Amino acid sequence: MSAQAKDQDAAVGGTAWLELDQITERLGLGVDRVMGEAGLWAPELAARALRQAHGDPPEAAQLLRAHRTALPRLAIGEPVSTTELKVVRRISSAFRNPPGGQVLGRTLDYVGRLLDLMPEDEGKARNAGSPHAEDTRPHAHDHAHDHRHRDPDHAVPEEAVRTPAHVLATFRDMGLVAPPRGDGDPEPFDITRRPARPGAPRSAWLQTMARADTGSLLYLWYGSDWRPAGHEVPGELRHGILPLRVRHPHTGRPVTVAETRVSEVQTFHSLPRAGELPTSLDVGYGLCFGHNERKAISMAGLDLLLAHHEGATDLQHDVLLTLDGPDSTGYTQHLKLPHHVEYRSVLERAHAAARGTRLTERDTA
Amino acid sequence: MSSTTVAPPRWALKAEGLGRIYGVQGPESLDGTGPDFGTAVSPATGAVVAAWDIGFEVEPGEALGIIGESGSGKSTVMRCIAGDETATAGRIALRGVGHGAVNIRELDPPARRKLRLDQIAVVYQDPAAGLNLDVTAGGNIADPLTAAGWRSYQRIRDRAADLLRRVEVPLSRMDDLARTFSGGMRQRVQIARALANEPPVLLLDEPTTGLDASVAAGVLDLLRTLLEETGVAAVVVSHDFGVIDMLTRRVVVMRHGRIVESGLTDQLLEDPQHPYSQQLVAAARG
Amino acid sequence: MTAQLTTELAGPPPSPGIFDELSKREIRRAMLSGIAIPGYQVPFGSREMPVARGWGSGGLQATLSLVGEDSRLKVIDQGEDAGVNASNLRRLVAAHAGCTEETDTRSADIIQSRHRIPEQPLRDGQVLVLQVPGAEPLAGIVRDMDEQRRMHAEADYSKMWVRLYEDIVHNGLITEAAGYPVLVEGRYIMTPSPIPRWDVPKMNDSEAITVLSAGREKRIFAVPPHTRVVPLTFDDRPFEVERTPGAACRLCGSQDTYIVQEPGPDGTFSAWVCSDTDFCRRRRTGDAPAAPAAGGTAQGGTA
Repeated sequence: MSAQAKDQDAAVGGTAWLELDQITERLGLGVDRVMGEAGLWAPELAARALRQAHGDPPEAAQLLRAHRTALPRLAIGEPVSTTELKVVRRISSAFRNPPGGQVLGRTLDYVGRLLDLMPEDEGKARNAGSPHAEDTRPHAHDHAHDHRHRDPDHAVPEEAVRTPAHVLATFRDMGLVAPPRGDGDPEPFDITRRPARPGAPRSAWLQTMARADTGSLLYLWYGSDWRPAGHEVPGELRHGILPLRVRHPHTGRPVTVAETRVSEVQTFHSLPRAGELPTSLDVGYGLCFGHNERKAISMAGLDLLLAHHEGATDLQHDVLLTLDGPDSTGYTQHLKLPHHVEYRSVLERAHAAARGTRLTERDTA
Repeated sequence: MSSTTVAPPRWALKAEGLGRIYGVQGPESLDGTGPDFGTAVSPATGAVVAAWDIGFEVEPGEALGIIGESGSGKSTVMRCIAGDETATAGRIALRGVGHGAVNIRELDPPARRKLRLDQIAVVYQDPAAGLNLDVTAGGNIADPLTAAGWRSYQRIRDRAADLLRRVEVPLSRMDDLARTFSGGMRQRVQIARALANEPPVLLLDEPTTGLDASVAAGVLDLLRTLLEETGVAAVVVSHDFGVIDMLTRRVVVMRHGRIVESGLTDQLLEDPQHPYSQQLVAAARG
Repeated sequence: MTAQLTTELAGPPPSPGIFDELSKREIRRAMLSGIAIPGYQVPFGSREMPVARGWGSGGLQATLSLVGEDSRLKVIDQGEDAGVNASNLRRLVAAHAGCTEETDTRSADIIQSRHRIPEQPLRDGQVLVLQVPGAEPLAGIVRDMDEQRRMHAEADYSKMWVRLYEDIVHNGLITEAAGYPVLVEGRYIMTPSPIPRWDVPKMNDSEAITVLSAGREKRIFAVPPHTRVVPLTFDDRPFEVERTPGAACRLCGSQDTYIVQEPGPDGTFSAWVCSDTDFCRRRRTGDAPAAPAAGGTAQGGTA
């Protein structure tokens, strides 16, 4: 950290140093958002970034991205199917009781949005009274979201399957969903190495959305003119753990080197195509790092529209080129740089044009 | 281009066996289509045979008419020659390209688009298709001129003024946006723009359809004069025998994607052979 | 073991933390492509830098890929070496690459600049890296990127010419201010980045290499030495650089450099100063050729 930034931190106040595990545990959704927008799975680094950015997630994502740039790309992960996802939360709004069961897990969804005005002393005392930080049982004021997933089993009811089959597979078996088209895009487009432009394959727009700024993505989906009448249904929403495997550089065998948490959404809608009755469901897919259901749902909704409106370059343009957080926030920052060199040039043209007009008026008078 | 001993042909534009099918491209799509079957839709494949086996020549200073009702394929033929779409089969040749030895249908899209600079110009029914309405009348003419390499502002102005004068647009309106022009005026600007680089071939697609009768008559008068003066080879596509009679010497009649009759315009008007031609003529006589 | 593997896979560990060597190699390849096709925008996998997009993240990647320990690096923002942004970038690169910070244009090997070309003519062996906020000169004419690329591919630029024509019709002159579009080696239309028109002629037939890098838009383009760079204008409408009759630098008295306004003692913007602070300082210390007699090319005429 630069001396300047340290000074700024000092100026914030005399409170205690914010520990990294406090951030990852108590502000877990913020850390997840930063990792998602940075496109880097690194909880402790994301916590550092969030602390350094004074809690501003886009700024923290920029820090993390710039840090990642400094690291060599040593290997490329092996493809992993999300059928391996060990769920800590899994719901379907398409079925009352989907095969594999509903796993509510930790979420803020089902509690009243009442501001907790418990006196600070009491809150601290309760927290201190809890046996150990490793304890993942709910705290007194229930359902508080928290990400100690060292033992995700705690979040899963006994009867539920930890790796349930996708609802999509059920739909496929029922003949409701067209089989995936096998054409093209066998090797994923790498947006970090090749700029994606309209016309880029689906893998490019999925990557772009996976690390998009959450708010921008939400808006583009929510505000999109492309949204058909009636809304799609997230047939399945999951949050869980996926292994990361790479091929060992010496043995060539896949080795699990880390685990990540992801949110995954498969969303369904039947959109009419010109001259065709909807006979099968359209599917949209969303996947992002960490627990960020808002992002995964928006992403799946946009993916569905992009796939349906094939070749809709306006929508592709907006998805591929306007959603990146560091791009858009950087652009607002650059406006604050001095521009007097160009500004003089602009003023000079305005004056010259005005002089020209005066001359013409005199000529014609 | 090996134009070793090829002598330039008499014609400026020649089409041979031109065809355009939407859908399954194979010969199986042809059976059961055409005027004899009363449809352009293939019963076997569902493909639309919009045009098939179309052939004609147009000489410099001559205007050829293509007449037919909507869906007859006449506009498809024009768009295939213009390069706005690509024909399925056949040969299109221009005297100005390799002395007619090149099938321009086979050129790649960039080469095809280049022909629109100085070989083929098009006047569309809708002026918005041929003009940028957010640009001045002069700017619309400056477009093809700058594309052809004109780099003097004053010479571009002079040329644009000259062209606007010829199409009888008041010079006081040269610096007004095309959007502010009436339909007839827009059409005149579009004609001026089409003539900017003196193309040897001019394609006119329903040039007066959509205009009020009196306005249309003025534009037709203008076109007749221009076709006589410029020596351009013109193809006029219309559903209206009045337009064809006024502008062209020879005509082909199209129905369901095929040519059903062709001949000199005045003779065909006088004595149409094919029942469909008779029907069209009767309609024109009103 | 891990450290050993890392070294095997990625080469020796780079100097700490901005950019890895493999990425630098990729940027250098993009720059070489750009030099091979002057004015053509080469897409590249722009990396995130420790500066905001728009603060020179593109220029920084180019500079970092070019500097070595023995390089002398000059960074200017709006002509100034001492601007906050310029100083920060220069320090950042120096700390990373171990190069030497420089302000004298003559001694610099690499000059990264935001929106100016130094007044001191550049020489053989120097590289000018310009930061580019918007790489596409056709962006204001057509929005569709496929169409923009088709227009470049076919050198189909009549829409750009119509825009200049319309500008004169409506305004009596071409009002393009900074970032005036240029034609490079008779082939590609390029933005010279938002440099003032004053600087555009310096790009023509330059001794130095000019690299233009847009981080947010992920494109690099370049002008090799001795390349024709011609501002787009009609033959009978000469290209005009900025001019303000009678204005001169308050500090060095210059009338033949690009000057910008600053508040005078009365608080109004009445005073002018050189935007190129290095050249101005040299003028004042007699370390640069004196200004030619007033009336020459002073702040005006045509270039």
